[in-house]
Amino acid sequence: MTRTALEAINLSKHFGGVLALNDASFTVPEGSLCALIGPNGAGKSTIFNLITNFYPASSGEARLFGETLTGCPAARIAARGLVRTFQTARVFPGMTALQNVLAGARMHQHSSGLAQMLWLRGARREEQALSRRAEGLLDLVGLSAFRDAAATDLPMGAQKMLEVTRALMARPRVLLLDEPAAGLNDTETVELAALLRAVRGNGVTIMVVEHNMALVMNIADQIVVLDAGCVVADGTPVEIRGNPRVIEAYVGRDEEVASA
Amino acid sequence: MSTFLQILIGGLLQGSVFAMIALGFSLVYRVTGIVNLSQGAFCVLGAMAMYLLQTVLDLPVPLALAGAALVTVGVVVLLGSFTLLPAISNLPPSSTLMLTAGLLIFFEGLVLVLWGSQPYAMPPFSGEAPVVVAGLRVPSQGLWVLGTCVVMTGVLWYLLQRTRTGRALRACAENGTAARLMGIDVPRMMLLSLAIAALIGAVTGVMIAPIASMQFDTASFYTTFGFIAVAIGGIGSFVGAVAGGLVLGVATQLAAGYLSEIFSTTLALVLLLAVLVLRPSGMFSVGRPQRTDVRVDQHAHRSLVRFDSAASVTLGLMLLALLASAPFLPLPPGMMESLSITLIVFIAVLGLDVLMGFAGQVSLGQSGFMAIGGYAAAILSATYGWSPIFSILAALLLSGICAMVLALVTMQLRGHYLALATLAFALLIDSLAIGLVDLTGGPSGFVGIPILEVGPLAFDTPQRMYYLVLAAVVLLVLLLAGGLRSGFGRALMSVRADQSASAALGMRVGHIKVTAMVLSALLGSLAGSLYAFQFQFLSPDMVSTMRSFQLIAMLVLGGEATLVGGLLGVAMLTLLPTLFQPLATYRLLAEGALLVLAFRFLPEGIYGRLVMLAGWMRPISSLPRPLATRETTETRV
Ligand SMILES: Nc1ncnc2c1ncn2[C@@H]1O[C@H](COP(=O)(O)OP(=O)(O)OP(=O)(O)O)[C@@H](O)[C@H]1O
Ligand SMILES: [Mg+2]
Repeated sequence: MTRTALEAINLSKHFGGVLALNDASFTVPEGSLCALIGPNGAGKSTIFNLITNFYPASSGEARLFGETLTGCPAARIAARGLVRTFQTARVFPGMTALQNVLAGARMHQHSSGLAQMLWLRGARREEQALSRRAEGLLDLVGLSAFRDAAATDLPMGAQKMLEVTRALMARPRVLLLDEPAAGLNDTETVELAALLRAVRGNGVTIMVVEHNMALVMNIADQIVVLDAGCVVADGTPVEIRGNPRVIEAYVGRDEEVASA
Repeated sequence: MSTFLQILIGGLLQGSVFAMIALGFSLVYRVTGIVNLSQGAFCVLGAMAMYLLQTVLDLPVPLALAGAALVTVGVVVLLGSFTLLPAISNLPPSSTLMLTAGLLIFFEGLVLVLWGSQPYAMPPFSGEAPVVVAGLRVPSQGLWVLGTCVVMTGVLWYLLQRTRTGRALRACAENGTAARLMGIDVPRMMLLSLAIAALIGAVTGVMIAPIASMQFDTASFYTTFGFIAVAIGGIGSFVGAVAGGLVLGVATQLAAGYLSEIFSTTLALVLLLAVLVLRPSGMFSVGRPQRTDVRVDQHAHRSLVRFDSAASVTLGLMLLALLASAPFLPLPPGMMESLSITLIVFIAVLGLDVLMGFAGQVSLGQSGFMAIGGYAAAILSATYGWSPIFSILAALLLSGICAMVLALVTMQLRGHYLALATLAFALLIDSLAIGLVDLTGGPSGFVGIPILEVGPLAFDTPQRMYYLVLAAVVLLVLLLAGGLRSGFGRALMSVRADQSASAALGMRVGHIKVTAMVLSALLGSLAGSLYAFQFQFLSPDMVSTMRSFQLIAMLVLGGEATLVGGLLGVAMLTLLPTLFQPLATYRLLAEGALLVLAFRFLPEGIYGRLVMLAGWMRPISSLPRPLATRETTETRV
């Protein structure tokens, strides 16, 4: 019996008059890979923003391993094991790719700033260990050539990949990825799929927003479909493929327009 | 009762001056998104041009007024189109803010060079006799000022609300991209807003010149108070500008009338801090909704200065050898002291680099911490007879506490607002240094600071002092390098780059900001204490807010976030004036120009440029494509 890693309970969000999310509920079991799909403006990013408390929810709550996330500050959420990436890659400008990845390990760096200033042995050892791990991760995703380049000089796809790497460096238990494949070419997308599988294989729960249906069908254990702020379907890829409401969400509107 | 009314009238008068300056601020902010710190200089430029035309060339008032306005607008438009406008689209807002500070210093320097440092007074437009209404005396010029304020507000309102140009200006303010798509020439509109602001400034300056004496450094005064007014009212709101100006004028005059002159400034600053903390967007805010899951600062790109670590160690050792042998070189007289001062100021710049360069928190408060460090050490050692070393330590403690309070109070503030709050802090300390005469010696300074002694060692010659300071600098650079190359430095840089993304990675952003502020304050305080012992004298203008601007100029000129780069900036701005004593009047002008040019053309600083030139930085474009195909399935994470 697997535990529930992430749970959304009747999440709603108003932006002024816009109802961006309407009573969305779903659960993601531990160790699975859940894809969140839906047309543009469906509220996918909004779900992530509500779960990670970037915006307070208008109503409803999100839970991580059974405990509420409501009111929990962002840094605390990350410390509890929930790490996210952003739709527009937010790598840190003014830092190299390696420094960016290392920044993800901040929670796991235990030597104090003072110890680092005094060049104490323990602090230096820790620093070296982290650097090795970060370099290993960069190598894994194929970014090691960019190790010392300014992160913002990387091509867009590489920046998105770097952001995922940085999130991995934080050793998340649950990982939320917002459109990680946007900007990647076909080979890179295949590699991303392999990476996500490997990460899941290590017991990390993943929730990913993705438009590339081939990728989604290929890697997801579960798919949540969102349309105009509502969860319209929730099931395995096979279930989703045949679900008429999903087809409606994606194609239906065109028919309406055509018949109007 | 009549005294009260008299004070009230004085307050409204003063307030309408602040309101007019605030209007200029608000207009430019609305259209460009920039707080233009040189607004106060427009007044002084206008007044000085007026003096030239009216008193020297003997032109009649209306003609002289038109001429003064024309000259001011011309100068501002010319300079603005080369410096400010390009910067708006290329630089992050905080750098543009500092660029306008550079313009302010440049204008002050210009006035100093052209008109000298003496104050100017001009005849009132309609005679010296005050107008008496119901037993209350109002200077006749005051009516001119009030009238101008009313007319100006009306004209500005009409221009913005009722004309096509006004609509275009407002379109830029609301959404620059959309305005561009609608075919509006956004840069031209920005320049226009700057021209109108210059016009407002010039007219204000001309109107107040007969009742307020004008000299080169009056500009910072008007900028400061206009800035406070606009912050109280809400940046970008015209109603807010006028209301903020009047509130500020009345409040300061009441404080001056019923308490004392010094507390009027203090009160204004406390008022400002209170508004910033309680309602950061001011009384009448014009908020713009924003998504928080995209980066706020779209211009956050900055050049990345990295260098070969072997090369840096070699270079560092060579520099150290040179510095250590300096006392044995044949130096011109006074050079030894200048070198010590350079290193002392460098310590303050190191602090600023941690806070501003690495953590990205624009602070105009560093001079405040230098003042606390300087005065606390001076008072404890001279007045209370503490040993110098303990007084320095006590000063550090005091600064640390102040920094922590300041950081906690300003925690939620970013960018402009943070700069504003730290400026208020520095001004507050400044006003206390001037006002608490019994403690600090007031404006004429604190004399009789003892020689720095540490146990049996007395640092009583320039050489000894120099070596002490050099040792301190080497130690501090080593400590900071250790921290900044590790997780501590990365945390600071992450916060600089993107606060919410940092928080999402588990960084305690507030904690990091407080740490950076305290560390920076400690360095500032230490520099202040050493400064006091170096001169054995301390006066408010040695650690005034102008010093904060200067420190920023040095840092940016040398190179932000490079640790040692600041030394180059400090050396340039400290040693060059020593070498060219006769050119002392040009110093302010040069400082302002350097600050502007550095922000505009050398964002990576001299140090960064040197590193690039020396080829220690690999050009990024020559790197291979990423993501070579590779088997990833079986690798562990
Ligand atoms: N901060 C905000 N302020 C106002 N409206 C917002 C905000 N954030 C999102 N919205 C609105 O909420 C709705 C859902 O947006 P959201 O970004 O969640 O969509 P999405 O499913 O991620 O779409 P996309 O595929 O384009 O990324 C949209 O109509 C959007 O305009
Ligand atoms: Mg989205």
